[in-house]
Amino acid sequence: MLLAGGQGSRLGILTRHMAKPAVPFGGKYRIIDFPLSNCTNSGVDVVGVLTQYRPLELNAYIASGAPWDMDLVDGGVFVLPPYHTGATGEWYKGTANAIYQNLAFIAQYNPDYVLILSGDHIYKMDYAAMLAHHEAHHADATIAVRQVPWDEASRFGIMNTDANDNIIDFEEKPKNPKSNNASMGVYVFTWQKLRKYLIEDEMNPNSSNDFGKNIIPAMLADGQVMTAYSFNGYWKDVGTIESLWEANMDLLTDKPEIDLHDKKFRIYARNLGMLPQHIAQTAQVDNCLVTEGCEIRGLIRHSILSSGAIVEEGAQVIDSVIMPGARVDSGAVVRRAIVAENAVVSSGAQIGGEEGLIAVVGQDAVVPEGAQVKPGEQFGEG
Amino acid sequence: MKNIMGIIYTGERDAQLKELTAQRCVAAVPLLGRYRLIDFPLSAMVNCGIRNVGVIAQRNYNSLMDHLGSGREWNLHGKRAGLVFLPPFLTKDNVGVYSGFLDALHANLHYLRRSKERYVVITDTHMLFNAQFDAMAAAHEASGADITLMYTRDPGVRRNGLGRYIQVEEDGRVSALEVDPTIPHLNCTYLETLCIRRELLITLVDEAVSQGHYHLTRNLLMNAINDGAMKVTGFENPGRAWQIDSVQSYFDCSMELLDQETRAGFFPVEKPVLTKLRDEMPTRHMPGSLVKNSLLADGCIVEGIVENCILFRGVHIEKGAVVRNSIIMQDGLVQSGAELQYCILDKQTTVLPGTRLVAPKSYPIVVAKDSTV
Repeated sequence: MLLAGGQGSRLGILTRHMAKPAVPFGGKYRIIDFPLSNCTNSGVDVVGVLTQYRPLELNAYIASGAPWDMDLVDGGVFVLPPYHTGATGEWYKGTANAIYQNLAFIAQYNPDYVLILSGDHIYKMDYAAMLAHHEAHHADATIAVRQVPWDEASRFGIMNTDANDNIIDFEEKPKNPKSNNASMGVYVFTWQKLRKYLIEDEMNPNSSNDFGKNIIPAMLADGQVMTAYSFNGYWKDVGTIESLWEANMDLLTDKPEIDLHDKKFRIYARNLGMLPQHIAQTAQVDNCLVTEGCEIRGLIRHSILSSGAIVEEGAQVIDSVIMPGARVDSGAVVRRAIVAENAVVSSGAQIGGEEGLIAVVGQDAVVPEGAQVKPGEQFGEG
Repeated sequence: MKNIMGIIYTGERDAQLKELTAQRCVAAVPLLGRYRLIDFPLSAMVNCGIRNVGVIAQRNYNSLMDHLGSGREWNLHGKRAGLVFLPPFLTKDNVGVYSGFLDALHANLHYLRRSKERYVVITDTHMLFNAQFDAMAAAHEASGADITLMYTRDPGVRRNGLGRYIQVEEDGRVSALEVDPTIPHLNCTYLETLCIRRELLITLVDEAVSQGHYHLTRNLLMNAINDGAMKVTGFENPGRAWQIDSVQSYFDCSMELLDQETRAGFFPVEKPVLTKLRDEMPTRHMPGSLVKNSLLADGCIVEGIVENCILFRGVHIEKGAVVRNSIIMQDGLVQSGAELQYCILDKQTTVLPGTRLVAPKSYPIVVAKDSTV
């Protein structure tokens, strides 16, 4: 069950028209491609995607699920929006309530285990290995954790474990963390246990119906078997403009921590069927990721150029992310910036700067000739 | 335009494509970084609204089957119609190899009979052009012709001793046809693409085969034009056309399409050329690499120098390697210090460190699939 309903308001103008999981990433992907492809690669073949905020783009993107091999006769990917049930019916109130409202969906498949995921993270993970850990420990719940720097631990849900990986204590954003094992928001539950706790939680009027705040603490308090599963690979929360930009730049290191070339563990994406990229005689390309449909005639350095992006002769794109279909005209300079889908940076415009916060040009926005968007500014309809 | 079905003949005219067709038919020859030749007529059909396409296979059709699969990438995997693969098969009347296009059509008359569309467009795969099947069918209907032949006036496709040429009169009628003339003298080049009523085609195929004829152009069409019993007209397909009949013409066509204007004219945005997907990551241009005037598909890693080249998916050009005026197919690896000039490397080729392969422009070298140089 993939939680994809959040707005991601810290992404500002980038999520004005789409939910966070639909935000483009890494040239040809969207954020949701990572958890969905992880499912495909892990052999998870029934996936519910819970949507709520501006779902149109996400619905169209997932569609039949074919790009992830999820168009199956007896399973596949299902988009699950909140729905009306006669007299009642309500929005998803919290992460736990979102799953609660879809208990009937899960019951249709009557699984042994339920995997809960979120659509906010860039990572490659074999959920089958996590499930094996869950089974080996005869656990009721398993929570994926990763070690974070101690000075950042107070931003996360922190698990304190014993020598056998059993969770003895859970603290949500503690002031004085006792460990640096942070929850990744990836859970495996034994289905019948999950069902019981979701129903109980729903009956508690004081609950905020959240996994981290309510379900996990309630199960711990009852002495259920809860284990932590350590994950050591690359994992990045891309919930802010800065972190989204950083995660993109992480793909441009000499040996990126996340290997997208690996044929045995592919990240799948809906493909737009564009021509191969063309790098013109006038182009200068240095340390970039460039994908299909791109036409590069200007200078690009240490940047990500997404499907169909165009950089005209005399334009400069440095330390930036150019999203699908965006165009940078001659004489424009884009530095430390994100230019969103189908935006146009007209001749002579200046976006961002050599240092400071990341500048953003919103989806479909047209930056006029010679205009300036300063570091940290967001340009586009409000 | 739901009243048209398509048939694509994946012919056997590959004599001069050398290693490029050693293990595959012409239709499956890779082109421009991510395509195979058949993608062009097939996508053009789909873009015209054709939903029922038969692909007649001949020999070496393994790559072709692998490429087309269920037809999903072309939206031809539906229940109501879709892609029908028609390889030769052994029966009491048939030796398991098609003797010609007409013979292939005859073997598949059951498919033609059970199809429901009023018109059939038929095309081949050894020429590259943006076929406007819908415009041809509309012209065919308007003119009341029995058969409409698609032609081009592009002089680039004319060859001495090779090709099919037609004489198109001012009123649009086709008055003569010649096959592989020593020197072509008729005014237009036939693109081996035609439109005909499905039921008429069935009748003609039956008749011709019963008289021992197996070739669509040199028997059926030649007779139709020469005896004047049928109205045969021409339809001029706009835009460029290329013959892919030799290594040189394959190479020249690829290089011409490196030009931005030629490419833009050949790939209209609203009519995408569809192909099999590979889910490669974007191409990585490493620090210190240099790429000029080249087409690169996804999944490449470029550390060296690449100029006037076409790199297919998953190609790796190592640091210190220099590749100019060359075509490197899928998963090619050019190791450090190697130098290539006017080369065509077929799929999964490795060029070891320090190797120099320098050919003249007029005679590109082909390196066969899976070789190590």
